Amino acid sequence: MKRLTAYVLGISLLLAGCGGPVDPDKAQESIQVIAMDTAMLITTYGERSPAAAYAAEDIIRDLEDCLSRTIETSDVSRLNAAGGEAVEVGEDLRFLLREAARLSAETKGAFDITVAPVASAWGFTTDSFRVPSQEELDTLLKLVDYSAVYDRDGPSADSPAVSLGPGQSIDLGAIVKGYAAGKIVGILREYEVPRANINLGGNVLVWGSRPDGTPWRVGIQDPARPDDKNALAGVLELTDSFAVTSGGYQRYFEENGKRYHHIINPATGYPADSGLASVTVAAPAGSQALWNGTMCDAYSTALFVMGEEKALDFWRDHQDGGSPFELVLVTEDSRVIVTGGLADRFTLDENSGYTCETVSYETAS
Amino acid sequence: MRQPPKLRPTLWDFLTALCVAALAVIVAVFQWRGGQTQGLTAVVSVDGAEVDRVFLGYAAGEKTYQAGDYTLTVEYDQDGAQVLASDCPTRDCVHTGTITRSGQSIVCLPGRFILHLEGGAADPNAIDAVLG
Amino acid sequence: MKLTTKQLTLCALLTAMALALSYLENLFPLSLAIPIPGVKLGLANIVTLFALYALGAEQALLILLSRCLLGALFAGNINALFFSLLGGLCAMGAMIVLSRRQVLSVYGVSVGGAAAHNCGQIAAAMLTLGSSAPLYYLPVLLAVSLLTGGLTGLAAACLFQGLSHTDLMKG
Repeated sequence: MKRLTAYVLGISLLLAGCGGPVDPDKAQESIQVIAMDTAMLITTYGERSPAAAYAAEDIIRDLEDCLSRTIETSDVSRLNAAGGEAVEVGEDLRFLLREAARLSAETKGAFDITVAPVASAWGFTTDSFRVPSQEELDTLLKLVDYSAVYDRDGPSADSPAVSLGPGQSIDLGAIVKGYAAGKIVGILREYEVPRANINLGGNVLVWGSRPDGTPWRVGIQDPARPDDKNALAGVLELTDSFAVTSGGYQRYFEENGKRYHHIINPATGYPADSGLASVTVAAPAGSQALWNGTMCDAYSTALFVMGEEKALDFWRDHQDGGSPFELVLVTEDSRVIVTGGLADRFTLDENSGYTCETVSYETAS
Repeated sequence: MRQPPKLRPTLWDFLTALCVAALAVIVAVFQWRGGQTQGLTAVVSVDGAEVDRVFLGYAAGEKTYQAGDYTLTVEYDQDGAQVLASDCPTRDCVHTGTITRSGQSIVCLPGRFILHLEGGAADPNAIDAVLG
Repeated sequence: MKLTTKQLTLCALLTAMALALSYLENLFPLSLAIPIPGVKLGLANIVTLFALYALGAEQALLILLSRCLLGALFAGNINALFFSLLGGLCAMGAMIVLSRRQVLSVYGVSVGGAAAHNCGQIAAAMLTLGSSAPLYYLPVLLAVSLLTGGLTGLAAACLFQGLSHTDLMKG
C-alpha cells in the first residue's frame, strides 16, 4: 500500500511537472552545537563538509573545555582560583590573554576581561541578579586592571605560565566565540570548504557566498524587539566575513522598574549607558582570521561601552592600516549609523521604524 | 425485498468511478501543484496556533514540541522534516515519514499538531543568519 | 420507528458484524500507507450497503449510529467517534442517493459510498485541526476508494447472490 501511495504520488507529481531544480551544492552538512551557553549552527558545503563541520564542533568543544569559567578544570577556572599564583596554561589562553591586553590598551579599557568580579557581583555569571551597592562596586573596581595580567615568560617561552593580580578573575565570554570563529576559518581552509555559514550564538562567520552566488544575508536583530526573531534593524550582505553584535537587550534583569543589562562599563562598574542599543562589528575573514574574529567580538563590546561618538572616532582612527573593520550602530533614539565600508552592503528594514545615516571617513575628517 | 439490487456493473458504474477519479485528479492538481523542494520553511502549529517556524535551508537537528498531552520530536534537515518520535497513541505522525515538498504536512491528531511545509523557490531575500 | 423482532435481531446482528469488520480492518491499518489519523478502509460499509438494500435507509442509519457509538466506546476515543460518524454519514448519504432509481449496480453505489466516506474523514480531520492540511491526502484517498469501493461492492454482490434464495431480502 505504501508503494502504491508513493507510485500514485510520484505519477501525479510527474504529471504536474514540478520536479524541482537540482541543488548544485547538494553536499552540505548542518549541525547544531549547544556550547558556551548558546545554540550554535554550523553549515558547511562541499565534498568534505561533514568532516569540516565536525572538526569545527571539536574546536568549539575544546575551547569551551579550556576557556569556560564554569568548568572547574578549565585553564581559566584554574587561573581564577590560583589567587595570583602563576599557572601553566594552554596556548589558546595565552594567545587570548595577550590579545585581550592589546585590545584593552587599544580601547582604553572599554574592553577588559578583568571586569569579571564586577559582572559576578551583578549576578550575570550565576543568574542570581541583584544591584550591588556603590561601596561593593568601588572595592571590586580596584581589581579591574588588565595590565595586572602577566605572561611571565613572554610569548615564546617553553614553560607557559601566566598569573593574575591578587583577587582578580577573568571572563573571556566577550572574545571566546570570536576567537572560535577565527579558528574555524583554519578548518574551512584545511577541508577546502567553498562556502559556509557559521553562527556561534550571534557571532557569525560567513565563508564564500551563498549557493546561488549572492552574498550571505545577515540580519541585525532589532534591539527594541529582542523577543521577535523576525524583527530586524536591517540586513548586511557579506562574504568571507565575521560579524558580531553586542547589545544590552541580549541579557538583562529588571529591578524597581529599572533595566540592568550585562555589558558592564569597566570604568564605572555599572551597565554601560552610552545611548547605544546595539553595536555590530564586521571584518574580513579572508586574512588574519584569528585576530579579526577575536577583534570583532571584543570591539562590539568595547564600542558599545564607548558610545556613538567615541565609537565612530575609534573607527576613523583605524582607517589607515591595521585591521579594517566596519560598524553598524543602533542608537536608543532609533537611528542606525552605518560606516562607509558597509554603506552599500546594508539595507535598513523598512518595518523597523529606524532612520539610517552613513558615516564616511573622508567627509568626517 | 424493497429494491433488488443490480449485481452486475453497468456503464453508469464506470461513470461513477470515473467521476471519483476525476475528482481525485482535480483535487490533486489544486493541492499538489507547484510543490517545491527548495527553500522550504516548516511551520509548526499546535491547537491552531503557530508555535514554530524553521527555515530548512540552514536547519539541522532535532526539536521537541509539546502538543497537548504528547511530546513530539521532529528532525529537520535541508531536504525535509520528519517526526522521529511521539508518545501519541496512533503514531501516525511518525509513520508519515519524511516530508520534502511544500504543501505536505505531518499531522498528529491526538495532539492537534500540524507540521506543514511552506515554500517555494528559495526566497532571494531570506535571511541566512541573525546577529544579536 | 417500530421494529419487528426479526428486524431488531437482524439489526443487532448486522451491527455486530459491522463492529467485527471495523476490528478486522484495524489489523490492516490504512493509515500506515496514508497517514491521516482516523482514516480507514471502510469495510463496515459492506454492512451499510447491505442494510440499505435489505432493510431500508432508516434501519441502515440505526445500524450505522450504533456501530459508530459502540466502536468509539470500545476504543475509548471520542475523536474516533467523530471520524467514523462523519465518514459513515457521508457514505450513507451518498449511497442513499446513488441507490435510488436503480441506475447503478452495487459496485457503483459502493464506490460512491467509499469516496464519500473518505471525503467525510478528511472533512473530520480538517474540522478537528482547523486546517486545510489534510486535504493534501484526498487525491490518494479517492484513488484508494476506487479500489476499496470495488472490493466492498464485490463483497456485497456476493452476499446478495448468496442470500438470494433466503427470505432475508424480503424485509
